[in-house]
Amino acid sequence: MPAKTPAAAEPVADRESLIIRVMDAPAHLLFEAYSKPEHMMKWFGPKGYPLTLCEMDFRPGGRFRFAMTGADGQQTPPFGGQYLEIIPNQKIVYSNTFEAPGSETMVVTVTFAEKAGQTTLTIHTVFASVAMKTLHVNGGYENGMGCGLDQLLDLVITMEHA
Amino acid sequence: MSAVAQLNLTFAALADPTRRAILARLAEGEASVTELVEPFELSQPTISKHLKVLERAGLISRGRNAQFRPCRLHAAPLKKAAAWIGNYERHWEERLDTLESDVKALHAKEKHHARKDTRRR
Repeated sequence: MPAKTPAAAEPVADRESLIIRVMDAPAHLLFEAYSKPEHMMKWFGPKGYPLTLCEMDFRPGGRFRFAMTGADGQQTPPFGGQYLEIIPNQKIVYSNTFEAPGSETMVVTVTFAEKAGQTTLTIHTVFASVAMKTLHVNGGYENGMGCGLDQLLDLVITMEHA
Repeated sequence: MSAVAQLNLTFAALADPTRRAILARLAEGEASVTELVEPFELSQPTISKHLKVLERAGLISRGRNAQFRPCRLHAAPLKKAAAWIGNYERHWEERLDTLESDVKALHAKEKHHARKDTRRR
């Protein structure tokens, strides 16, 4: 594979992702849901991929290690990192990387801003490189989903059912 | 090969429009290199180079017949790749749905306890 451009050369704006959600709950409960394995195991796995490995040393400098298991019973590659900053009920910053050789690291900043009983949860991810962001967010494509890939996948599915 | 390494190979292979076009052609059935060269304005060595990338990524296999070595598409890695398309933000939205309902349940419990505490006082 071609050599990666050094991350420092790529502006953060080109390799970040921002997810914002206003929740009808106080910040301290959202913070709690993030800080304890028994809660994390309930919600952190995406649909169909529950978290089945959840080791976390929730303190600044502490490490975590997660893996999910899909419907086929196969565990996904473990991933993990380090809690870089923790401000109770306000902010959690952690690094995250897959345990595969050559995997790049993303840094995720989660902020909890409470106002009138509602909390704005912000998940700001900075990927190591534009290529990494492209892989994770756009499935490997710079310009959205088009590029004929959808058509290709349709063909593959049609072929399998033929 | 790890699942992540496979995914990287798949996406690297799919990043090129010529390789995607080759895969689309192979989705219709096996083809020899000569047949694959025809629709493209590219030389045979260039097409062969693309085929090698696709073969390394496990997206196609080549037949043993030395003369024709027909190329055949392998769909499994593509399906895995499809499951990952745009997954990061979508997965987060799904997680946050679950987080929201879990935290609402926690909140209800907390309010319930708070009411009990008030009554006790």
